[in-house]
Amino acid sequence: MLTDVMKRDTNRLTTSRLRVAPGFVAIAIATIALFSVGGVLAPSSISHSAIIGMVPFAAVLAIAGLGQMLVVQQGGIDLSVAGGISLAVVISTHEPAGDSSKLGSAILMAVAFALAAGLVNGILVSLLRLNSIIATLGMNALLYGAVFAVSGGTPRSTTALLAAVAGGSTVGIPNAAFFAVAALIVVSVLTKKTVAGRRFEAIGANPAAARAVGLRVRVHQTLSFVWAQLLYCLAGVLLAGITNQPTAFQGDSLLLPSVAVVVLAGTSLLGGRGFPISTVIAALFLLQLQQFVLALGVDTSVQTLVQAIALAVGVSLYSVNWSSVRRRLFVRKPTQAIPA
Amino acid sequence: MTDTTTMTVTPSPAAQATVLNLKHISKLYSGVAALSDVSVEIRSGEVHAILGENGAGKSTLMNVASGTAQPDGGSIVFDHETVTLTPTVAARLGIAIVFQHPAVLPDMTVLENLQVSLPGSVFEGGVDEEIAERMLDGVGLHVHLRDRVETLTVAQKHLLEIAKAFAIHPRVLILDEPTAPLGQRSVDLLFSRVRQAVADGVAVVYITHRLAEVRELAHRVTVLRDGELRGESEVADVTDDELLALIVGRQLESTFPPKHVAAAGDPVIFEVDGLSGDGCNDVSLTATRGQIIGVSGVAGNGQSEFLRALAGLSSFTGSVKVGGVAKSGHELLHEAAFMPADRHSEGLMMTLTVRENAAVAALQKFRGWWLLSRKKELGRVADTLQSLDVKAPSLDAEVSSLSGGNQQKVVMARTLLSEPQLVIADEPTQGVDVGARAEIYRILREVADSGIPVIVNSSDAKELEGLCDEVLVMSRGTVIETLRGPDVTEEMMISAAVSSTTSSFAAVESSGPSRVSTGGVRRFIQGDYAPSALLVAVIVVLGGFILTQNDRYLSAFNVSTVLLAVTALGFIALGQTVSLLLGGIDLSVGPLSGFLVVIASFFVNDKKPIVVIMVGLLLMVVVGVAVGLVNGSLIRFAKFTAIAATLTMYIALQGLSFVLRNGPGGYINANVVAVIQTTVGPIPVAFILLVAAALLAEFFLRRRRWGWRLRATGSDEESARRVGVKINRTVILGYILTSLFTVLGAVMLMGQIGVGDPSQGVGYTLSSITAVVLGGTSLLGGRGTFVGTLLGAVLITQLLNATTFLGLSTLWQYVFQGLLILVASVAYSFVRARRTRGSVRA
Repeated sequence: MLTDVMKRDTNRLTTSRLRVAPGFVAIAIATIALFSVGGVLAPSSISHSAIIGMVPFAAVLAIAGLGQMLVVQQGGIDLSVAGGISLAVVISTHEPAGDSSKLGSAILMAVAFALAAGLVNGILVSLLRLNSIIATLGMNALLYGAVFAVSGGTPRSTTALLAAVAGGSTVGIPNAAFFAVAALIVVSVLTKKTVAGRRFEAIGANPAAARAVGLRVRVHQTLSFVWAQLLYCLAGVLLAGITNQPTAFQGDSLLLPSVAVVVLAGTSLLGGRGFPISTVIAALFLLQLQQFVLALGVDTSVQTLVQAIALAVGVSLYSVNWSSVRRRLFVRKPTQAIPA
Repeated sequence: MTDTTTMTVTPSPAAQATVLNLKHISKLYSGVAALSDVSVEIRSGEVHAILGENGAGKSTLMNVASGTAQPDGGSIVFDHETVTLTPTVAARLGIAIVFQHPAVLPDMTVLENLQVSLPGSVFEGGVDEEIAERMLDGVGLHVHLRDRVETLTVAQKHLLEIAKAFAIHPRVLILDEPTAPLGQRSVDLLFSRVRQAVADGVAVVYITHRLAEVRELAHRVTVLRDGELRGESEVADVTDDELLALIVGRQLESTFPPKHVAAAGDPVIFEVDGLSGDGCNDVSLTATRGQIIGVSGVAGNGQSEFLRALAGLSSFTGSVKVGGVAKSGHELLHEAAFMPADRHSEGLMMTLTVRENAAVAALQKFRGWWLLSRKKELGRVADTLQSLDVKAPSLDAEVSSLSGGNQQKVVMARTLLSEPQLVIADEPTQGVDVGARAEIYRILREVADSGIPVIVNSSDAKELEGLCDEVLVMSRGTVIETLRGPDVTEEMMISAAVSSTTSSFAAVESSGPSRVSTGGVRRFIQGDYAPSALLVAVIVVLGGFILTQNDRYLSAFNVSTVLLAVTALGFIALGQTVSLLLGGIDLSVGPLSGFLVVIASFFVNDKKPIVVIMVGLLLMVVVGVAVGLVNGSLIRFAKFTAIAATLTMYIALQGLSFVLRNGPGGYINANVVAVIQTTVGPIPVAFILLVAAALLAEFFLRRRRWGWRLRATGSDEESARRVGVKINRTVILGYILTSLFTVLGAVMLMGQIGVGDPSQGVGYTLSSITAVVLGGTSLLGGRGTFVGTLLGAVLITQLLNATTFLGLSTLWQYVFQGLLILVASVAYSFVRARRTRGSVRA
């Protein structure tokens, strides 16, 4: 009896509650290192004002990055992030035209546009089988068409209410950070803890296998673009509140960084598992990198170069087969296959 | 078939020399012996059949003989000289192999497939088209040379492959089950070609499962079993029964659970009646409670297709009843549990954990209030995995880190957790170690005992003998024998399969010589130049419309302004075309063009000596080459995706531009600008050069080996490798070429903006992709035209110009661009989808 119980226990597979993705470790260490090195070499980069100034923009990038992540998870890429954010920005500044009471309806309108844009993207990609680059490139142009239809291309000041909500701070923490954390929690819970979310992840990891199991592959692929647009919409509305007089092209500067944070967080551009927490940390990392380089007094251009290097290092961490490189470099004799 | 012995050709006495001698060949695959100590002599002037069951080692032996696989032991002697074979060496020695899966490039035409695969010497001394026609006639392939191979049927692709093998006049010709997809007429023609080749002294190796074909064609036969040589004989000296005895009799270490004991009252729980679908035809079966049904036959005769139809993964006609209830394909998809043969591509989500994979089909059952209950999920999953004795580091281990046997058990755990109504297992023990096999058999038996019907396909007849209560033997898509009870033996299965003479029902109609080729108009619509014609029409109509609104539209000034504006985008888009043809993408072209102008702004100034200006231009070229080299190397050697690699380059180049210049500065030499903007009449010289470059590139793409290789790589990398394209070199040179075109674009840009400005150029990345896509180049690679790209660039520029002429706001610039790209790509993909669907049906 006793041995039976013992045996059973050793066979039973276990799990630990704390599970850490390797990508998380890498980006977290890099971010901590950045803050520490910043503290030593350029103390002003971690000054209160620098951090307070950086966090809202990191929050916006984090939210846009989460949206991009959902699309990349399904093996796509969303170039309409620029148009989506820009449109949300202009709708939430132009429609109310300074009148805070009209903000609510403006935001509803922005959400409606986001839903429509996401749905069209999704249908083009998953049902009409267009390459996601083409579909979202075309959608991006259409969204900019809408931007000009709404704004005529001229910036307008944001409403006081939005500036207070999105640009303000509570107990010393910028409000935008709360929005980013909320978005993170929602995305994480939905993808990791619900039936639909788990199916979504499985489809991203292997659509063919998911279909063999009987999952609705195309529906989830379509919806990934819708979720993404909703997040871009949130990012755009926040951005409209953070920036005093946002331009019509506010989203352009977020296109490449949104892809970069997803890649830095370890999500493969070929699709697969998404890493929401790492994506948010990567956004913080990229923005703090900017602060650091600024504080060093080096030309801002260097910061772009450092971003490129960070991205290259990040991608190579995941894509290069390091164990084979090590073998080739350090092991002289090829390993012999042992006949079983 | 016809009488067996009369048809053999008597070899001429002179042609009996051994040309290829495989001596004591051994080959291990991950420690398992696929071949051990096999010796075969291939003689010129005779057909040598290699016979054996699925997995007997036939194909491995031929991979060794053709240089595709390297033996772990033994030697290969060719013409009395010991050689080490690679595909290149084998080709040089005149060893040609026709693989079971044809190495064809789907996006290229029939003619181009021949041109890229065959050495140039084949086409010497004649017109390519005529020589190619003769090759196709020789194997009875009646298709148009300009048909895209994608539109061919499987049988036609096979014939194309056979034509390629004959074309190089091989000394040794290896045919790996060539008749499987062919209709009778094609088989007869192939056999007569083989006989003729043999009469000319060619040594033919013929791999087959079919005794009838051995009788009809071969002089000598070698039988393999379990990777070992079982016997060799003249065909005339051996009877069918003797051959069969050599083929069967595998040893199997696994133990099987006891079979179901049938009782009179067992209810029928699973019925298939007249099921037909893609690759299988009129399959029927009846199973009572507790039975395991096996599907046997030579691999690739419709067994997998039948199972996929049952799983609801492909459409079918006929009826399927489970537990007395008729099920549609859609219901089967959700209610039947399918265990695919290929665990990597279809069975498991390799990057997810053991827990996630096991739970994925049963998530509904783990739901708590509205979130998933971790407790429920962990409990049920761990219980099931434990009952299957899955060995893994933990529930959170990536499933890819498990052994094949444990991976398969995870698939079974998923199956059990989903509580299916029907279990369909395709090759359940492939790549599974012996110990785990026995457990998989036990689990399948337990499932069957619990009242769930189980159907198993296996290429291993011995396994089916041990496991199944009833076995369907399939050949060419139909059931040729249903074995029950004591008849479920390896001998009976193999005997039924190898004696089969059914011909492929799918191929009969399509490979007949009377097949009408696609018409000229249809071929054009499906061809690469249809988008170009469409663009010309749009450009003319749009131009005509603007002219009616504003007669200054065709003024010399406007014409030269527009055409000059086309040049920068045009050259960059030509470059982008190269990357997209390769199946990649280059996001860095925009920032590269801007960066190159910034570089030029330090050298190409007023009052700088001509030498400095030349150095500046040279530097642009050098930087361009370097960028292309880095992009290509990141993609090929560091395994970056094209997007990741060129995105990194994008950001880096943008940074470098700002490092060199903080804002606009460094005016470009006025004389140089004047040269760049020279016009002949209203037409800028630069535009003429652009058109010339596009036409030249087009010529190379269509008519030169360079272009074929480029498109072959983008069309199907694996097939391209097999026909001898050097993939790494092609891709890296492709990205360098992209950058070089961008250098030309940057020179034009330099003339237009006249100053080094780090913020310029970036937008060309997206507009170049737009131009290329409008021109009809596919982002999937392999098909497209430079001419189309040029027209796409013209149209985009015209559209931007039009909005100002028509007095429209910026809004319309964006809307038109967006609609144009979406409408065009939907239309192109629609044409393409129709074509592929059509070819599947044919």
